[in-house]
Amino acid sequence: MLNTETAIRKILIANRGEIALRILRGCRELGIGTIAVYSDADRAALHVLEADEAYRLGPAPATDSYLRGDLILDIARRAGAQAIHPGYGFLSENAGFAEACEQAGIKFIGPSASAMRVLGSKTRARQAADAAGMPRTPGSVKGLVSLDEAFIVAEEIGYPVMLKAAAGGGGKGMRAVFTRDELGVAFTAAGSEAERAFGSDEVYLEKLIERPRHIEIQILADEHGNCVSLGERECSVQRRHQKVIEEAPSAFVDEDLRRRMGEAAVRLAKSAGYTNAGTVEFLVDEKRNFYFLEMNTRLQVEHPVTELVTGLDLVQLQIRIAQGEALPFKQDEIRLRGHAMECRVYAEDPDQGFFPSPGKITRLLQPGGPGIREDSGIYEGWVVPLEYDPMLSKLIAYAPTRDTAIARLLRALDEYVIGGIRSNLGLFRRILSDADFQASRIDTGYLDRLLSSKDDSAQADKDSEAIATLAAAIFESMRPSNGNGGNHTAKQSEDNAWKRTARREGLRL
Amino acid sequence: MKIQIEICDELHTIELERGEAAGQYRASIDGASSVDVEVHLVKPGVLSLHLAGKAYRCVLEESTEGAAIHLAGKRHPYRVDDPRSLKSRRSRHAGADGPKSVTAPMPGRVVRVLASLGDTVDAHQSIVVIEAMKMQNELKSPKAGKVVQLRATPGSTVAAGDVLAVVE
Repeated sequence: MLNTETAIRKILIANRGEIALRILRGCRELGIGTIAVYSDADRAALHVLEADEAYRLGPAPATDSYLRGDLILDIARRAGAQAIHPGYGFLSENAGFAEACEQAGIKFIGPSASAMRVLGSKTRARQAADAAGMPRTPGSVKGLVSLDEAFIVAEEIGYPVMLKAAAGGGGKGMRAVFTRDELGVAFTAAGSEAERAFGSDEVYLEKLIERPRHIEIQILADEHGNCVSLGERECSVQRRHQKVIEEAPSAFVDEDLRRRMGEAAVRLAKSAGYTNAGTVEFLVDEKRNFYFLEMNTRLQVEHPVTELVTGLDLVQLQIRIAQGEALPFKQDEIRLRGHAMECRVYAEDPDQGFFPSPGKITRLLQPGGPGIREDSGIYEGWVVPLEYDPMLSKLIAYAPTRDTAIARLLRALDEYVIGGIRSNLGLFRRILSDADFQASRIDTGYLDRLLSSKDDSAQADKDSEAIATLAAAIFESMRPSNGNGGNHTAKQSEDNAWKRTARREGLRL
Repeated sequence: MKIQIEICDELHTIELERGEAAGQYRASIDGASSVDVEVHLVKPGVLSLHLAGKAYRCVLEESTEGAAIHLAGKRHPYRVDDPRSLKSRRSRHAGADGPKSVTAPMPGRVVRVLASLGDTVDAHQSIVVIEAMKMQNELKSPKAGKVVQLRATPGSTVAAGDVLAVVE
């Protein structure tokens, strides 16, 4: 079935961090060669260490390295890659880059540039949703031409409303508007924020769904007209519109809703001639009405939870689709089994307003054992660069039930130590221990409510504090500089510090 | 040996006495009765600690900011209280009085300055917004008072530890 002319023997991975490593592993299992690319900030990164070949792109800023499609294509050509996997972020949703790959005769592992253009713009995707007969939030399907038009649309659908950037993502260019008086200011602010972030000030209006759940459908489409849905992921635990915990399946979705959402997602993908892996995002209200939100035309960060409950390898299926194979299964062969949950581990400090915390990882103990998967790109001694997204790893648990998946994550979090930089591991302990989360009483506002409530989990435990104090004292007593004949350099720097202190205090040495 | 450790904002005095066998200690915290502790350094920074029939995994974290012990999923930052060091003496005497600075916790770029020189600000009021790791972060006033120095200008890059404002 596989045409040897289209067979992929070598793939360039146009990304970094955990996803570059994830793709590399998928390739290696298929016997496909891997090419890593890296910026100056990533010479010591794991994906560079593990790849079969690795090439420098340029200086640290993404615009000089991971966003340089021209350099990446050039490397792919010279190194003899048949395909480029873009991962997520960077060039993954850049239709211009997908087109350049097509023209260079190198397969872009993802949808065609034309399908990406239809579904990548939120307003055009809303038009496609209408054409595919799928429910979406009430509101405009084109960019608003004026504030007057915004007032008319808002009046029509009723407040509260959401202003959104057509080219948007990650919450940028987005404003909730609760009354008529707020619309003018919000309209200008959303437009200029969108212009700055995406180079387009096109904004549109939609009805604000109160207390929605964020539930998305994973689809796979081959190049022979077959398209299947792989069930849903719930990603309602969010902060600043960024997902924090994702799970599959959703505790809120029953068999009937899953089928209806899946069919709607497949209809949309087929209507746009979509191929490869994609995700259709929905908001679901308390009455289980679902509304199309947007489509992500790439592999998602949270794809592992779908892999675990379906038993499929999405990266490998992406590659097989890209080399022209037909999907090896039909919709009725897809079975969901068990429950999977993912924590996005970030280099940020939850105690200091989630301030990013790049720097050297001086200590790393990673969890393992039954049902635990950790997709990471870090190691002890690695310096987390400040130029990129601060995600360190994804901690994923798989178990027969949701309760056991939570218990597994809590157990793994106890094993996990990331030292030298701050991380949000403690935040997960708090969420996973929360009664509302455990009962799946969640919506996209859940985490903000939890964070504004008092944190009982941080209550001082005198016993463990005493043990920690004792351990600190024992570690200090082991330091060579404290004992006899200590480490020379440590001793010297201590002497210098002593001298500096003395000088500052006007003592004479 | 006597060691003073400041952990979770409390100062403790630990008396440590090595036992006969390797890894054996007699320890007492803040003058309480001594206990027997047995430890083994599994690898650098990872200590297996046995005390009163219980076993603990204590992990030492060190960075430029200081040290901490990770125990059962919790992080306990600590500082060795060295009576010779100026810093410990200062921090022991420093209260809410006196000027306090807003410093950049990491390298980045100043996006916005939200206060003006001479402004009266509340504790935790945002003073400067810096962008780092593609995120905008608000730096807040460490105390209520008056902005007596303002060194941040929008668009400028800052290094970790740079003083951006002083509130008195």
